[in-house]
Amino acid sequence: MRGRDFLVVVALVQGVLLGALVVLIILNRWFRLRRRARVHPRVVALNGAMQRWALGTVDLGTVLVHLSRLPIPLAVDALVSWSARVPGDRWRNLATALRGHWWARIVRSNAGSARWWKRLETARFFAVAATPEDTSHVLKLLRDPHPAVHIAAVATLERLESAALTTAALERLPRLAPTVGAYYAGMLRRSRPVVVQLLQKMLRKSDDPALPRLVEFAARLKEPPLRERLTTLAAHADPEVRIQAVRAVGGYPHPDSIAALRRAAVDAAWPVRAQAIRSLGMIADPATLPLVREALRDPEWWVRLRAGLALTRFAAPGRNVLLEAEVGGDPGARDMARLVLGLTPQALAEYAA
Amino acid sequence: MREAIGTADLAILVFFLALNSFYALLLVLSVPEIWEQTRLADDDDFQRLMQSDALPPITLLVPAYNESATIEASVTALLTLEYCNFEVVVVNDGSKDDTLEQLRQAFSLYEVPRTYPAGIATRPIRGVYRSRTRTRLVVLDKENGGKADSLNAAINASRFPLVIAVDADTLIEPDALLRLTRGFLLGRQIAAVGGTVRVANGCTVQHGRVTDARVPRRFLPGVQVVEYLRAFLFGRLGWNRLGGNLIISGAFGLFRKEYLLAIGGYRTESVVEDMDVVVRLHRYLLRNRIPYEMPFIPDPVAWTEVPDSGRVLARQRERWHRGLLAAVWQYKTMLFNPRYRRVGLIAVPFYVFGEALAPLVEVIGYVITLGGLFVGAVDVTFALLFVLVAWGYGMLLSLWAVVLEEASFRRYGRLADLGRLLLYATLENFGYRQCTVWWRLKAFVTVFTHRHVWGEMTRKGFEADSEQVAAKGLRG
Repeated sequence: MRGRDFLVVVALVQGVLLGALVVLIILNRWFRLRRRARVHPRVVALNGAMQRWALGTVDLGTVLVHLSRLPIPLAVDALVSWSARVPGDRWRNLATALRGHWWARIVRSNAGSARWWKRLETARFFAVAATPEDTSHVLKLLRDPHPAVHIAAVATLERLESAALTTAALERLPRLAPTVGAYYAGMLRRSRPVVVQLLQKMLRKSDDPALPRLVEFAARLKEPPLRERLTTLAAHADPEVRIQAVRAVGGYPHPDSIAALRRAAVDAAWPVRAQAIRSLGMIADPATLPLVREALRDPEWWVRLRAGLALTRFAAPGRNVLLEAEVGGDPGARDMARLVLGLTPQALAEYAA
Repeated sequence: MREAIGTADLAILVFFLALNSFYALLLVLSVPEIWEQTRLADDDDFQRLMQSDALPPITLLVPAYNESATIEASVTALLTLEYCNFEVVVVNDGSKDDTLEQLRQAFSLYEVPRTYPAGIATRPIRGVYRSRTRTRLVVLDKENGGKADSLNAAINASRFPLVIAVDADTLIEPDALLRLTRGFLLGRQIAAVGGTVRVANGCTVQHGRVTDARVPRRFLPGVQVVEYLRAFLFGRLGWNRLGGNLIISGAFGLFRKEYLLAIGGYRTESVVEDMDVVVRLHRYLLRNRIPYEMPFIPDPVAWTEVPDSGRVLARQRERWHRGLLAAVWQYKTMLFNPRYRRVGLIAVPFYVFGEALAPLVEVIGYVITLGGLFVGAVDVTFALLFVLVAWGYGMLLSLWAVVLEEASFRRYGRLADLGRLLLYATLENFGYRQCTVWWRLKAFVTVFTHRHVWGEMTRKGFEADSEQVAAKGLRG
């Protein structure tokens, strides 16, 4: 074939492709409009049925009929969106009723699909409509290699109380990337009794590299049974563990907590000191006021900031300390007092968060 | 003579085939990528994420130079983004107008001592301000040093581990930060992420938000919509699969701060600081064997105003190309260097031969073909067919970008807008493309003479009711 013939063939193929692309774009738009015109009324009808069912004016069967009229992805979307608006008992009835429904069976069977987006769809479905019988499926999705799938699956913990699921999620928590771990932690907080029991065991392994993450998670729970162990960990050799433990201890106004925080307030690592001062501010025991005042002269800016903010929690005595510091001789304390006293209540709340 | 022209024509033909085969590869790779990204974008439950404290805190770095007219609206829009934990560091880069005064009045600023360490050297800081009403806002006032210097100053002042460089005149969609951090939520080892930049000209803008996306009626901004779609939707998505995104837009890109500090921040000598910083990040991370990803995520969107006059556009394209030439020269040791893996073996060679040298080759092609026709060394039909195929291929790529847009995000809902997109995708190759080649060609000369000249750009405000025209330095 000569060069010219080759170019003719290429030009012809290109011409056909260009035409095909234009047709594809137009057809795609047309199909979408047509599909929307067909499906939108069904979505509206389902929303109406859901609303009436939530108010108790129609039976569950009507909702199921409307759900089955929608394409599966849209039905799952609708379930996700309505799950937050319907009272728990009523929603549990719907989840139970969906067990025998044909399209819900299809969604469940996709838990083992080779395509991740199908498994994601199933995980999202389970997150709002799982029943105890689905535990094995959810467990499988929790161990899914695709992050989107196991992140969606962990949301099931919000609705389904299962020791097996909670254990699986908690064991995975320290190995996850920080952001994903924090998301898991948010979900695990819903299953407190099982989580607290497991955490008590896990926090005893003081050489566990995952300890900072576990302590960080334990801090969010503020559960009394965890206090003793967390107070002990405030003196751990690893500064990262100390930071998290000292932060956690601030949630327990107890003499042991205050003693641990007094020690941490003079720690060699400034992040530990900053955290200890913050926690002392949370407890706001008047006996610790001199310690917090002293921290206002700390060489580290962040410790001084924490001290300034902590003093605002000691009511009038704390404010008096700030006013004294504002005209005092220490330039660091003076600047910080000026900064904190200049903040609005809203700003103070945001800083303290 | 005839033989020499024939050989040169053949070489250009081979170049053309190789380059377009690579574009075809990017085109093919963009399909599974946009499929995955669209699925993830559709399925994310952002409300749930916003209520959780899982998202990493972010600092928005906002360099501002002579932005007096729009700074209050821009900063207010940034402060009201949907994200749980972020701060905004605005850097007044020695503005000659009253940008700082506008900020001071609008946000009740008060001066605070500068208490953070200067990790990266910058021009002197004149003052650090915080707001009594918006605790998320920090304002730095510094001596003029350019965009890169301002970004470095903002990095120094930032508190959070992730930073986003944002132009003060860029409109970020409310949920863009949430979407941009999706990679972190998916547990990936992200070093930097780029979002999509779209053209705001012609769109309806209210309170710093694009409320109605339109394709501009005017040809120049309209054709740039197609260019941006092509660059982002299939170019960068294709590069995601090849692991070598070399550009994260300076108008909207997220970086891990520790890596930016490790490479010394932005280079103030660079003309296009966004490409420069990304190449240096690749180099640093690969040299130190740090596992990382630098993906492009298509659904977080920032809107920017593009030039609507040929004069300004010419200057912009010349500057971009000058920056590209300077960057490929600066990092020439990465070219075909296996130490830099796919970046050194695929991405850098593509940017050298497929982007930096492409206008030169194209013009040489035109000249040789015309010369060949003149001396009778090139067959007229062959030459016409070649030009037809080359232009046809360009149209194919542009239309493919429109297909991707239509199959995924469909920001332009009206049929009239779709029609305009198709029209611009078709017309782009007749005149406009040749102009861009010429503008880029000029960079081969100016790269030696105008190393740090940015030129002036005339921008019109976004808001329909604000008619003021702000003359300002083009910043990214």
